[in-house]
Amino acid sequence: MSTVNPSAAYEKKALPGKASSFGWVALILGVVLAGAGYAMDPLRTQFVSIMLLMFIAGVAICPLFMVAVEYLAGVVWSTPIRRVFELVTNLVWFLPIFALPVLFNMGNIYEWTYMSDPILMRKAPYLNETFFIIRFFVIWILWVVFQQLFVKRSLKQDETGDQSLTAKNIKMSALFIPVFGLSITALSIDFMMSLEPHWFSTIFGVNFFAGSLVASLAVVAIATILLNENGYLGKGIVSDHYYNLGFGMFAGCVFWTYTAFSQGMLIWYANLPEETPWFIHRWENGWSTITYFLLFVHFVVPLFGLIQRKNKRSVNRMLFMSLWVIFAHMVDLYWIVMPTYGHNPNAHSHGPTIGLAELGAVAIAAGVITLVFTMGAKNKNLIPVGDPKLQRGLNFRL
Amino acid sequence: MQVADKSTLDGIPDYSVEPSVVLKSPTFHDITETIVKPIESPPSTKWLIALAISMALFSVEIIGWGVSFYYGTGMWGNNVPVAWAFPIVNFVFWVGIGHAGTLISAILFLFRQKWRNGIARFAEGMTIFAVMCAGLFPLFHTGRPWLPLYLMPYPNKHAVWVNFLSPLVWDVFAVSTYFTVSLFFWYTGLVPDFATLRDRTLGKDFISKLKKTIYSVLSLGWRFSNRHWRHYERVYLILAGLSTPLVLSVHTIVSFDFAVSGLPGWHTTIFPPYFVAGAIFSGFAMVVTVLVFIRYIFDMQHIITLDTLEKMNKIILLTGTLVGYAYGMEFFIAWYSGNLVEQFVFINRAFGPYAWAYWIMISCNVISPQMFWFRKLRRSVPVMFVASIFVNIGMWFERYVITVTSLTRDFLPSSWGWYNPTFTDFSLLFGSFGMFFTLTLLFVKFMPVVAISEVKGVMDGARPSHHGGDH
Amino acid sequence: MSSSMDNSMNNKLYALTGLFDTPDEIMHAAETASKKYRKYDVHTPFPVHGMDDAMGLGESPIGWVTILIGGTCMLLMLGFIAWVSLVDYPNIWAGKPYFNLPGYIPILFEVTVLTGAVSTVIIMFTIACGLPRNNHPLHDTPYMQRTSDDKFGLCLEAEDEAFDEGSARELLTSLGAKSIAPVYFDASEAKSGLSLANPWFLGFGGAVALGVSVFIYVTFNYMVFEAPFNWMSVQPKLAEQAPSDIFADGRSMQKPVEGTISRGYIPEAFEKDPEAMAKYVVNPLPVTQDVLTLGKEKFESRCSACHGNYGNGDSRLPADAYPAGPSLHSPKVAEWKDGHIYHVITYGQNVMPSYAKQLTKDERWAVIHYIRALQRSQNPKETDLK
Repeated sequence: MSTVNPSAAYEKKALPGKASSFGWVALILGVVLAGAGYAMDPLRTQFVSIMLLMFIAGVAICPLFMVAVEYLAGVVWSTPIRRVFELVTNLVWFLPIFALPVLFNMGNIYEWTYMSDPILMRKAPYLNETFFIIRFFVIWILWVVFQQLFVKRSLKQDETGDQSLTAKNIKMSALFIPVFGLSITALSIDFMMSLEPHWFSTIFGVNFFAGSLVASLAVVAIATILLNENGYLGKGIVSDHYYNLGFGMFAGCVFWTYTAFSQGMLIWYANLPEETPWFIHRWENGWSTITYFLLFVHFVVPLFGLIQRKNKRSVNRMLFMSLWVIFAHMVDLYWIVMPTYGHNPNAHSHGPTIGLAELGAVAIAAGVITLVFTMGAKNKNLIPVGDPKLQRGLNFRL
Repeated sequence: MQVADKSTLDGIPDYSVEPSVVLKSPTFHDITETIVKPIESPPSTKWLIALAISMALFSVEIIGWGVSFYYGTGMWGNNVPVAWAFPIVNFVFWVGIGHAGTLISAILFLFRQKWRNGIARFAEGMTIFAVMCAGLFPLFHTGRPWLPLYLMPYPNKHAVWVNFLSPLVWDVFAVSTYFTVSLFFWYTGLVPDFATLRDRTLGKDFISKLKKTIYSVLSLGWRFSNRHWRHYERVYLILAGLSTPLVLSVHTIVSFDFAVSGLPGWHTTIFPPYFVAGAIFSGFAMVVTVLVFIRYIFDMQHIITLDTLEKMNKIILLTGTLVGYAYGMEFFIAWYSGNLVEQFVFINRAFGPYAWAYWIMISCNVISPQMFWFRKLRRSVPVMFVASIFVNIGMWFERYVITVTSLTRDFLPSSWGWYNPTFTDFSLLFGSFGMFFTLTLLFVKFMPVVAISEVKGVMDGARPSHHGGDH
Repeated sequence: MSSSMDNSMNNKLYALTGLFDTPDEIMHAAETASKKYRKYDVHTPFPVHGMDDAMGLGESPIGWVTILIGGTCMLLMLGFIAWVSLVDYPNIWAGKPYFNLPGYIPILFEVTVLTGAVSTVIIMFTIACGLPRNNHPLHDTPYMQRTSDDKFGLCLEAEDEAFDEGSARELLTSLGAKSIAPVYFDASEAKSGLSLANPWFLGFGGAVALGVSVFIYVTFNYMVFEAPFNWMSVQPKLAEQAPSDIFADGRSMQKPVEGTISRGYIPEAFEKDPEAMAKYVVNPLPVTQDVLTLGKEKFESRCSACHGNYGNGDSRLPADAYPAGPSLHSPKVAEWKDGHIYHVITYGQNVMPSYAKQLTKDERWAVIHYIRALQRSQNPKETDLK
C-alpha cells in the first residue's frame, strides 16, 4: 500500500507573521469603524454587537461539535485537519468580551426589559436580566470546559500517541452533543428570538445551528486550504479532503434552507396573529428585498456553486464559496437581528441600511478569528500527529 | 489490510486499522453462496411457521378492509372532533417505518458508511412494504377508495382541479413519488444480483428453466461490464442524492398535514425535522427488530454483524434523543409563547385523560433508548430486540398522542369530544403488521436479502491496492 | 450455453476472454489492454474502484439527464399550476392570493425528484447500457458465470481493428489470465433479437394502450356512477319530489296545513299592484345614520352589482351575460313613491328578480332611504351645498 508517513512529510512550521499582522489590522480597523458607528448611532451599534456575538459564538462552538461527531462516528477524513477545527474553537474563550456590549445594553435592546404586558409577565420567570446573564455564563463555562478537555487530550496525544485518549474523547463526545444541542438552542433563543419577545418558533435553535455550522465549516475550509496550499500541513491532505468540507457546506446550506422553509412556510400558511408579525417586520419597509436576497445567497448560490464535484475540489472555487457562505451567514444574522432595530422607538431608520457598525463587525470578526487562530497555533503541530486514525485519514480518497 | 482485533489494548479498539465490515474473511464466492442460499434451498420450517402467522394476521387486515369497504368508514371509531384517528396514526407510523430504509440506502451511502451495505437491500425492501401498508389507510379514509384518481390533477368533466395548496395533495405527490423512487432504487440495486442468480441457475428441469427465464427478464441481461458499471455507479449516486432530500420531504409533508393548521399542539415550526427524526427512529427500530431474526435464521451473522447492529443502536439513541429534544422544545415554547390554549394542550397531554398514552410515549421513546449509552447493552441482541419493540410502540403512541389529544380538546370546551377505537380499527392496525411481515418474508425468501455486489465491493481486498485506503 | 461451445467451429468469433483472480490483476490487465485495443471490456462482480481511469473512460455524463429532465418537468409543472390557479380555475384558498409559490414548492420538488430519478434509471439501462438484452454472446458462457460470482474478466472483442486471435491470446497469457476461452456468436440467438419495430410488438403495444385508455375512460365516466360504487348517493331518504307510500296523497313533501303560515311570515298587502302600494304604503323607518348605514351596506352587497355603486346603472357584470340595471337617477325612478320601489324590490320587475329572500322588510326600506340619499347626491338642491 502506498502510504505517506505523516511524521516524515509533516514538519512543524511557525505561521508567517503576515497572518497575525492581517488579524491586527482587521481588528483595529473594525474597532475604529465600530467606534465611529457608535458615535453616529449607539443603538444600531448595540444591535450589531448581537450579530457579532452570535456569529463568533456559532463559529466557535460548531467546530467542536464536528470534532465530537468525528470521534463518535469514527470519521477518518477529518482527522488530519482536526487541529484546525480545534484551533478555531479557541474562540470560545473570548465570548464574554463579545457578550459584554449586549449584556450592558440589555435595557436598550430587549423589549422585555422595559415593557410589560400580560404575556410578557407570564414569560418573566425566563426572560429576566439576572437569569439571562446566568444562562449565558453557564453556557460559556460548559463550552470552555468541554473545549479544554477535548483539546488537551488531543494535544497530549501528539506526544504520546496513546489510543486510550481517543477512547476517552469518544465518551466525552457522547456527553457533549446533548449539551451542545441544548446550549446552542438556549443561546439563540436568548439573544435573538427574545429580541421580539412575543414571537416564538420551536425550530429557531435548529435554524441557527444550521447557519452556524455552515459558517464554521467555511472558516475551517479557508484555514485548511490556505495552510495546506502553503505547505503547513505536510503533503497528505489533498483535494478529496476539500471535497468533504465543501460537501458539508453544501449539505449545511440545504439543511438551513429546509429549516428556514419549514419555519416560514408554516407561519405563512397558518397565518396566526401571534406568529406573523416577526415575518411582517422582515417584509415591510424594504426588508422583503433582503429576504429574497437571503434566499439567493444562502441557498441558490451554494446549491449551484457547490453541487459540482470539480468545484468542491478546486482551491480557488472552494475559497470563494467559503467566503460566500460566511457572507450568507452574516446576511442571515443581519436579517434576524436588524429588523427589530427598525421597530425600536429610538431607531434612526426602519429599512435595511448598512452602517459603519456592520462593516466594523465584519472586520472585527475576520481579525479576531485570524488572531485567535494564529496565536493558538503557536508551537503546536497543525495536524494531530499522534492520532491513530491519522494515517487512515491521509489515505482517504473519494 | 489487517482485521482489527477488538481485544487489543485493554479493551480499547485499535483505531489505526479500518474495522472490517464483513467478518470471518470469506471469499467472494462464499458471499454469493451465503446470500443465495435461502433462495435456492427449500423453505425451512421456521420460515413456513412465520409465514403462516403473518398470513393469518394479514387475513385479519383483509377482512378489516373488506368490512370498511362494504359498510364504509362508519365502522371505525372516527367521530366529529376526532375525524383523523387510527387511519392517520397508522399512516404516519408506517410511512415513518419506511424512512429508515431510504436513510440506510441513500444517506449513509452519501456519507460512505460501508457498514450499510449489508443491510441496505433489506431496508430498501422494508421501505417499499411499509409505504404499501401506509398507503391503504388514507385511501380508505377518503371514504371512496375506488376513486383515487380524483386525488390527481387530471382534466375531468367536473371542470375542477385539485387544490395545489392542500397538504393532502402534497401528500399524494410525496408518497407516490417516494414509493416510485424507492422502487426504482431498489430495483436498480437488484439488477446485478438477479444477473448473478441467472448465471447460477443451470438446472435442466422445468422449474429451473422457469426460474432462469424470470431472472433473465428481471436482470435485463446485465453483463457486469465495466462500461455499464460506470453509468450504474453514477446513477446509484444520483438516486442516493435525490432520495436524501426526498426522504426528508416526505415526512416533512406528512408533518405539514398537521402543522399548517392552526390547531394547538399541531401548529409548531419544529414539526418537520421532528417528524423526520421520529421516522428514522422508528424505522431503525423496525430494521433492528427484523434483522435480529434474519441474521439468525439465515446464518448471516458474519455479513450482518454485531458491529452493524451496534451502529444502528447508536443511531436509535441519537434520533431518540433528538425526538426528546423536540418534545422538550414543544413544551418549553408552549409555555414561552404565553398562549393559554397552547399551554392547556400540553398540560392536557401530560396530565389529562390521555396521559397514559403520553407517558407510554415518553418512556418508550425517550427513556428506553437511553440504555444504549452502555456498550454492553448496545451489543446485546435480546436487549436491542426488546428496546426496538419498545421504540415502535412508543412511536405509534407519539402519533396517537399528537392526533387524538389535540383533536379531542381544542379551543371550545363545548366542542370537546372523546375517541374510542373500534374492533375494525384494531384489526386494521394489527393486520397491517401481518401484511408487512408477509411481504417481508416473501422477499427474504425469493430475492437476495443482502446486496451481493455491494457487499463484495466493501470486503477487505475488494479495492485495488494502489487505489486503496479508507473512506 | 454449452451447445454454443460445441458447434463453435460453425460460428463467428465474438471475443477472446480471460479470467483474473484479484482486482489488482484486472486493473493491470485493463491498463495494458487499453493501450492496444479500443473494443474490449472488463467484467467484474462489483464495480472496481478506479477501473474507469484504468480503462480510460471519463466520468459518466448521465447526471445531465437528471438535471435536464427533472428541471424541465419542474418548469412544466410550475407552468401547469400557474395556468390552473391563475387562468383555468382561479380560487382563493385560505385567504391567500391566487398564485402561492411557497405552497407549491413541495409539489414542484416531488415532481422534480420523480421525473429526474425515473428518467435517469430508464435512460441508464436502455440507452447508456443498451439493455434489456438477453441475446448477447457473452450470456451463458462459463466466463459470464464466473465474472458474476467471484472472478474478474477481460474480454477482447474480435471486432477491434487490432484484434488477432493469436496475439490476443498471447497478451492474456502474459497478463496471467486463467481459463482463456473464445466466445462465439450463437447463430440462433443472433437472429431472434426482438425489435421495437416488430409489427406484432407494435400492434400489441397499441392494443394495450387502447385497452387501458378505454378502461380508464369507462371506469371514471360511467362505472363509478353505477351500483355498487354509488353507495354514498343511494341513501334511505326521500327526495322532495319523489313519490312515497307513507302518506295518503302519495307525496313525499307535504303541503302545509290549511290556513297556517310559516313563522315570521306576514303577507304583503298589494302583491302585483305597485300603484296601490305606492299609494297606501309609506316608509316606516326614520332617516337616521344607522338606517342609512344599513341601507348602504345592503345596497352595495345586493344592488350595486347591476345598478352600480352610485345607482348610475353602470353594472360590474359582463354585459353579455347580465343586462345592466337601469339608472336609479332617471326622472321615472326619482318620481316613484317609496312604496313603488318597495314593490319592485319585493316582487321584481322585468328581468330583475325578487329580492324578498335576500332582504328583510326593514332592510328593503333602509335600502330605499339610501337610494333616496343617492338620488339627492346626484341632483343636489342649492341648500345642500351650504
